[in-house]
Amino acid sequence: MAARGKGADALLDLAIETLKAEINPALPADKRYAAAMLANALEIARREVEAAEDAHELTLLDYFYEDGDGTLKQLASDLRKGEISEVGHPDIRERLRAHLVAELKIRNPRFLRSRGVKG
Amino acid sequence: MTMATALPEGRARTLDQSRLDILEPWLAKEIGATCAKITAAELLTGGAVQENWRIDVAVEGGSHAGAHAWVLRTDAAARLGVSLDRVAEFRCIEAARKAGVAVAEPIAVSADATLIGAPFAIQGFVAGSAQGRRLVRDPGLANFGDALARKLGGELARIHSLRPAAGVLPFLPVPIGNPNRRAVADLRTAIATASEPRPALEYILGWLDKNAPEPKAMTLVHGDFRTGNYMVDQGQLTAILDWEFCHWGDPREDIGWFVARCWRFGNDDKVAGGIAKFAALLEGYNAVASDKIAAAEIPYFEVLAAAKWAAISLLQGDRFVSRGERSIELILTGLMPPEMEFDALEIIEKIIKGQPLSARTT
Repeated sequence: MAARGKGADALLDLAIETLKAEINPALPADKRYAAAMLANALEIARREVEAAEDAHELTLLDYFYEDGDGTLKQLASDLRKGEISEVGHPDIRERLRAHLVAELKIRNPRFLRSRGVKG
Repeated sequence: MTMATALPEGRARTLDQSRLDILEPWLAKEIGATCAKITAAELLTGGAVQENWRIDVAVEGGSHAGAHAWVLRTDAAARLGVSLDRVAEFRCIEAARKAGVAVAEPIAVSADATLIGAPFAIQGFVAGSAQGRRLVRDPGLANFGDALARKLGGELARIHSLRPAAGVLPFLPVPIGNPNRRAVADLRTAIATASEPRPALEYILGWLDKNAPEPKAMTLVHGDFRTGNYMVDQGQLTAILDWEFCHWGDPREDIGWFVARCWRFGNDDKVAGGIAKFAALLEGYNAVASDKIAAAEIPYFEVLAAAKWAAISLLQGDRFVSRGERSIELILTGLMPPEMEFDALEIIEKIIKGQPLSARTT
């Protein structure tokens, strides 16, 4: 997995660099927004490859469920039904926030920086 | 007649000569004219689902006699489930115009998809730009931003002067019970089948349900009143756009949506839509509104706005994940929910701790 991940890292790095440095400047103005979206998508994929697998998801689930039990789907459903709430889980907002920060480190670190959180 | 601007490759033209031959007599009849001749048609924007054409029309007879620049907007092929159809949207625009709201003059509407290939509406041409990102970076904002926000506040109050009553927009359902809890329930229903579970959003919706304030007297709610949905020409408001999400509800919903951080386009210190201080918007609103609103009432509705945009983003992403619509924009939008969830949790935290919110002070 590490070797595959590393290979994907290098490929994505090269694709992003080429898209930004060579392709985008040569495009007509009306195509540059689409190219910027592609670069953004590739950068998200690049960070996803680099991140440790699902570590933040497991950290979140471990707070609410016995070791190894529970899924995000289960958690969403339990929150909806009110079966999980501040009662019994006083740190609920803090835990959910930490999970969001971990997601945003991959999906949009610039957003985190705009909110004063180190991405 | 002249026609300009090509459609994307492979697309059939909506306004070809054969369709104009059908459109002209239809239009003449609709506006009570003896003749309506389209002398030029120019495609302003043509997306995958919707086209906007500027049409120059020479009208003989009736109350519209003379030369006009109008815009013909075809219907989106796939509208969001909660949005109004083109005719219902047109009726809302007519009602808003009667209430004195700045809108492009509604001229005619057709639900008949066979006429020119899609349902469409014709409205007056309005000068200006609606591009939010450009507006919040306009160097002139320092001069006109506060006045523009006050003007927008007044327009919103005029929209909210429309109340559910016999004969007023009878096709809009009147919510039973607290419309704020109804709005939360609708969002819960909408995301129930989403492919990606969002625990934070579920928590936020639960909080909104438990903390829903007593509603104000119900009014027409624009439903998408924000920077990017109004036209500005040289610092002056020219028209409020996009009426397809109109519904009866709590008027504060529109204010919460307008000031939500996601609609400031990065100009975060200008709470009113990235263009001005919150106080300017509220001042303009309360100068016109019969039912005044206090700044402290709005943070709940900012949370509601963030939850709504998170839910919409999630569902947009699902169009790619579950329905196979191949679009990089849909995928990227589908990745956005944690941004709005993050903002919503921050506001909830401040409300619970009694800390000041930007919307209350700036």
